[in-house]
Amino acid sequence: MIKKIYLVGNPNVGKSVVFSRLTGVHVVSSNYPGTTVGFTKGFLQLGDSRVEVLDLPGVYSLESTSSAEEVTLSLLKEHPKDEIIVINIIDSTNLERNLLLTLQLIEEGFPVIASLNMCDDAGHRGVNIHYQRLEELLNIPIIPTCAVTGVGIKLLIERMQEVGVKSRVKLNHEERWKEIGRIIEEVQHLEHRHHSLREILEDASVRPLTGLLMAAGVIYASFKVVRFIGESIISRITDPLFFNFYQPILEKMVLGWQEDGFWFHLLIGDLINGKIDFKQSLGILTTAPYIEFGMVLPYIVSFYFILSLLEDIGYLPRLAILLDNLLHRLGLHGFAVIPLMLGFGCNVPGILSTRVLESKRERFIASTLISIGIPCVPLQAMIFGLLGKFGGFYVSGVYAVLFSLVIILGVILNRLLKGYSPEFILEIPPYRFPPLTVLFKKLYFRIKGFIIEAVPIVLIGVLFINIFLYFKLFDFVTGIFAPVVTGLFGLPKEAVVSLAIGFFRKDVAVGMLMPLNLTAKQLFIAATLLAASFPCVATFVVLWKELGVKYLIKATLVMILVSIIAGTFLNFVILR
Amino acid sequence: MKKVVSLVQLKAGNKAKVSDILGGGNLESKLMNMGIYKGKEVSKLSHIGLRGPVVIRVGRTILALGHGIAEKIIVEA
Repeated sequence: MIKKIYLVGNPNVGKSVVFSRLTGVHVVSSNYPGTTVGFTKGFLQLGDSRVEVLDLPGVYSLESTSSAEEVTLSLLKEHPKDEIIVINIIDSTNLERNLLLTLQLIEEGFPVIASLNMCDDAGHRGVNIHYQRLEELLNIPIIPTCAVTGVGIKLLIERMQEVGVKSRVKLNHEERWKEIGRIIEEVQHLEHRHHSLREILEDASVRPLTGLLMAAGVIYASFKVVRFIGESIISRITDPLFFNFYQPILEKMVLGWQEDGFWFHLLIGDLINGKIDFKQSLGILTTAPYIEFGMVLPYIVSFYFILSLLEDIGYLPRLAILLDNLLHRLGLHGFAVIPLMLGFGCNVPGILSTRVLESKRERFIASTLISIGIPCVPLQAMIFGLLGKFGGFYVSGVYAVLFSLVIILGVILNRLLKGYSPEFILEIPPYRFPPLTVLFKKLYFRIKGFIIEAVPIVLIGVLFINIFLYFKLFDFVTGIFAPVVTGLFGLPKEAVVSLAIGFFRKDVAVGMLMPLNLTAKQLFIAATLLAASFPCVATFVVLWKELGVKYLIKATLVMILVSIIAGTFLNFVILR
Repeated sequence: MKKVVSLVQLKAGNKAKVSDILGGGNLESKLMNMGIYKGKEVSKLSHIGLRGPVVIRVGRTILALGHGIAEKIIVEA
């Protein structure tokens, strides 16, 4: 009776894609090692029983040289060996290195079935594998698969019946590599191919000069395309919908309502010159949906489209090589570029993915830097929306300030904290071009995630803000913090409300600034403060879970200090 | 004549055999798990200057190694 099925394999061989195929559960997959940092569970119908399937983080071996390896081994030993099946996912284009884990799994006596994944890519690259001979040599079922398109998955499920415990002599490391060498000799045949354009680009991106040029080009183009797609969605789709369709309907419905009543205030908010103004009315039916759907969502779509593309192609690890130098000065190493990039979407997944970094010190530095200097898409979208009209200079100014904060703070933290920044060993994946359907599916899940998580919070939030405003409950807080906000940062005292709401959601917080008619300088300072000060409550909770209370307090103190200094400095020195 | 150098000193574009791995057993087994061990042939693809990482090819794998680690891998060219 099979109780559990485990997916085990090297990092970045497509375990999560196979998992999705087997269970129908969608998991985010990317073309870089370490996308899966936790365990995902799903179920597979095997014969008459529903068996639990676990997608495990990638490991190179069963020896405990990293925490992921320790966890994997202990999980595999949870159930008796005849009650589990281990599906060993192997990257066909890289058979030699992958076989180390396979041999270890067989030697340890686990019932193994191997899925030789990405078999189509192996073909393109001139790697021919004699599957039958490999099956004989290893004495386990071998199934060529291409999980992205679904090839071989059915056969994989069928042949799970054949899996059993095999005995194999335990080897030491060197003997094992020799054995692998012999197996490879017999089963793998490499065709000599001329360098394809893909391979030339792969090589160029890891060389210093061409690599930096490519990086600059990719980053610049990504930023431009994100803004272009975002703006196009706003001007062609969402704005027409809101202004030509939603607004007239809404205005007809509320005709004859008492303008100063409680419900009117709650749902519609204030009329500006007798009309609904989506940017200033602040009602649940007006500004709340406009912020989320009319200002933020278009950029969520465009940002995640580009990020997913870069992830799936496999560009990010190459950026890690080029930025390793710089990140070392901040107490991190090159691979930290991945949490940082994810943080630009939303700080929560960014901080979660700091799990790929080894030491607590690194994770603390990376998480703090993300919370302070990496503005999430909702915040960035609002900054574009508000500051954009004053010119690109101000928008890029906010990025320049935040970027400098990251560098300065990183250097300081690296000096102050005990310990050192470790070195990385990072596998650089080949470029892959997954089918567009895969890309759009990932984009769909990310957008769906955003809508499910953000929209209810925003609606409830705006509801409470309106109740508070109606009963003038903010006046108390405003009174206390007004001296700091006006004296140090040069903002009107009403901005206190916005900064306080920043703890709750950044996009709504910037939205609260819209009716205040701030100058460019004031908006600049307020936007920078909102980015650098307290993270939103979701990020706060993740920081707590990931770092513990002690580090959370430390990180929070750093954030408060940094934002007060930065705000004052901007007000009195830079933007005088 | 054989030249013994570290991966940092090896010129980009050259092939060499790993002859020694300095540093603890932990590093040695970590590298071993990724297919770098004594006697294995590796080729250096590039080196990002100013103490940046070294990029090598081992078998069909491309690996980026932090400068500190690359210094500890001794090869015979």
